[in-house]
Amino acid sequence: MPLVKRWIEVYPVTDFISIGMLLSVVAMSSIRRVESSLKAYVINSWLLAGLVAAFAVWLSIPHLYAAAFFIIAGKCVLIPFFLRKIIRELKVAREAEPYVSTPVALIICFALVVLVYSFISEGVFVAGAAKTVLKVSVSIILISLFTMITRRKAVTQVMGLLFMENGLFLAGFSLTYGMPTLIELGVLFDMLMGVMILGLFLTQIKKSFVSVDLDKLTNLKG
Amino acid sequence: MFLPGLFLFLAGALFFALAPRKGLNYLYLLYAAGSGAMGFSAAGALLHADAPAPAPAFSFRISPVLAMGFQGGPLQMFFVLVLAILAASVSLYSVGYMRKSQGPRAHGILYGLFVLSMGAVFLSGDALSFLVSWEAMSLVSYFLVVSETESDHARSAGLTYATMTHIGTSFIIAAFMLAYRASGSLNFSGMAAGLAGKSVALKSVIFVLAFIGFGTKAGVVPLHIWLPRAHPAAPSNVSALMSGVMIKAGIYGILLVCLGVLGGNVAWWGIAVLAAGGVSSVLGVLYALMEHDLKRLLAYHSVENIGIILLGTGAAILFYSFGQTALAGLALAAALYHTMNHAIFKGLLFLGAGSVANQTHTKNMEEMGGLIKKMPATGLFFLAGSTAICALPPFNGFVSEWLTFQSLILGSATPWAYSKVISLLGAAALALTGALAAACFVKAFGISFLGLPRSERAAEAKEAGLPMTAAMGFLAILCLLLGIAPGIFFRLVRGMPFGGFGEVGAGPGLTAIVSGPASPVSVASGFSSFWPAAICVVLLAGSALALLLAKAARRKTSYAPAWDCGIKALSPRMQYTATAFTKPLRIIFKTVYMPRKELKISYNLKPLFVRSLAYHSDITPFFETYIYGPFLALVGKAAMRIRNLQSGSLNLYLGYIMLTLIGLLLMWA
Repeated sequence: MPLVKRWIEVYPVTDFISIGMLLSVVAMSSIRRVESSLKAYVINSWLLAGLVAAFAVWLSIPHLYAAAFFIIAGKCVLIPFFLRKIIRELKVAREAEPYVSTPVALIICFALVVLVYSFISEGVFVAGAAKTVLKVSVSIILISLFTMITRRKAVTQVMGLLFMENGLFLAGFSLTYGMPTLIELGVLFDMLMGVMILGLFLTQIKKSFVSVDLDKLTNLKG
Repeated sequence: MFLPGLFLFLAGALFFALAPRKGLNYLYLLYAAGSGAMGFSAAGALLHADAPAPAPAFSFRISPVLAMGFQGGPLQMFFVLVLAILAASVSLYSVGYMRKSQGPRAHGILYGLFVLSMGAVFLSGDALSFLVSWEAMSLVSYFLVVSETESDHARSAGLTYATMTHIGTSFIIAAFMLAYRASGSLNFSGMAAGLAGKSVALKSVIFVLAFIGFGTKAGVVPLHIWLPRAHPAAPSNVSALMSGVMIKAGIYGILLVCLGVLGGNVAWWGIAVLAAGGVSSVLGVLYALMEHDLKRLLAYHSVENIGIILLGTGAAILFYSFGQTALAGLALAAALYHTMNHAIFKGLLFLGAGSVANQTHTKNMEEMGGLIKKMPATGLFFLAGSTAICALPPFNGFVSEWLTFQSLILGSATPWAYSKVISLLGAAALALTGALAAACFVKAFGISFLGLPRSERAAEAKEAGLPMTAAMGFLAILCLLLGIAPGIFFRLVRGMPFGGFGEVGAGPGLTAIVSGPASPVSVASGFSSFWPAAICVVLLAGSALALLLAKAARRKTSYAPAWDCGIKALSPRMQYTATAFTKPLRIIFKTVYMPRKELKISYNLKPLFVRSLAYHSDITPFFETYIYGPFLALVGKAAMRIRNLQSGSLNLYLGYIMLTLIGLLLMWA
């Protein structure tokens, strides 16, 4: 154990992992195949779990092991499982045509990251490894929100929401080194329920509108 | 006697909810009894005001910091008395009026709650209980307004009323919040103490907010637009209560805030109230003249009478700000007297209009006529009410308007040039108002009750039932009584340091006005005086003499058909109409009315052979067309602009969120 701790300190493991998460979000924002972006989410979640576990080893906080375990159970196994079922049921293989082309999306993602890095370094008083993690997490939130804005399919929206939740988890984690296990459990459970409800909801939308394209929802306006 | 009255009301409401459907209308007798009990207790408290009488005061906590308190000083008791007198007779009237009603159960419950909430408004001891009661009163009355018919017309009238009353309440809330922040107390007496040393600017802001808020409820021009809509839509017993008492809650609020809470020592407040009163009285009666809907006409007269009451109130504030407390007492007594009188005669008139509308199934007086022969009692009582509202002796309106006149003329005794001019202008406005009101009621009574019936319904009208005529008769007798014996009123308000707030109208000043119940009234130590009882005797003797002379002179009478200009068949449609009667006034006040005419002619062969003529004339509703209309259009346009934000596109909404997030990041990071 002490050896592992040293490794984490000498090689900036936490930075590597969080940058990996950032890259997976950027990947998601440029991938059009829905199942591929689900894979990006799985990678993102595994990295999140790894990060939490690394902090658990490094700072010797036992309850973070539990958190990592729940992340794996929820975000790496259960949620992807449900989502894959939904995606296959709805038969949405590809995002037809996003509002923004892939190169432009990449440029905007880059701009968002630059924005976050330049502004957060000035004002927020968080030191050490957590500083990078916070920047990464805010970037993840903004990029996934941006992706949600540019996509038409409801399923991709759900995906963006899930990424955003990972970002939020990361942000909370970087500031507090883990909330009480009970709260984390609750949030995780919420997500799980959310995905299931959204799945039902989407099939319902598909039934009523013969499509899960969100721009059809403007018809609801009075 | 107060608590039994309260219990009678609650029991009445409970029975209305539970009792079997048949004979439900007799439950209004419970309300009548309850009102009577409350009236006796209020009158008792007023009569023993010089001895410290135990006023009903209690409070209950609704949270650790907030309590709702109720208490009654003489001013409060006076308004409760007015409420009780009118509620008692209107409840009696409702026994007959609601006999054939469709939804008596809901109406009965709401009616009881309405009377109770008005009482609660008058008896509230702090801002919180006041606002709760005030909103209850507004809401319940809204439901009552829309309760009678399900027509779109009634619904839109109700919507106008609800909108206006909510705007008014928001101003009142703002005024009370400001007063609370400055004084640290929700209790009215605490507020008054806390505000005593505060700046005039702050107090003026509170005054303006409260005046707008309460003025909306009272129906001050230009905030009056809900009155002529809500009254015709509401059932007549509700109109009577709304016009007789509820709009007086606005007057009570102005007195409470201006004299009670703020101390009322700023001269321009009085001038503002005076000016608003003058404008309301003249415009109210002018618009009333052009109305042919009996209840709308009465509603505009409410605007006019509120104006008259405000003239007295404004004069009182003006005098008080100059330290002339005796004159302030006189002016306030005039205002309160007119408040009571208006409640009685306007209640009477609305009840009469209700009976007439019940029989003829119309509110349009052009379709009435000749009703005095079919409904003699109703006609007689309506005539009494009309005479009272025209301020003719020997009825009560005369005394209170005379007192208002006197106090306005005495306004020249104030040391400030502006206030002299304004109060004399107010007197002129009152004179004009009185004359126009007389013209208006000659029209209203003459067209509806005299002549020949203009429609079949009017020809088949029958006298209203006993409870209805009894209620109207009671009010008519009160009109006469308060007109002959003003001493009764002055006995009630004697020793009233008005509202227990300040030194306004301290006892001795008022007792000097009248010594006994039917003795002469004299103001400002012999400045001017008159003797109502003597006027009554002279009038009676004069009419008796005239009648005798006419009888004696009528020796040879020969009857022959009237000359019909060769048309051969005279029909009731050829009678003088309401429109024709008011035509001269429409021409004289052209600038106010901006009359519109439309003549459509269709020809068989132009230009000589006319197939049909269609003539339509009306007046431009100034405030709706030039103030509320453009304002509503502006709001609508702005709303359409803002609506563009709501595109319905989820992506756009997410974009808003993202922009907000980035904005926050830039601001705080």
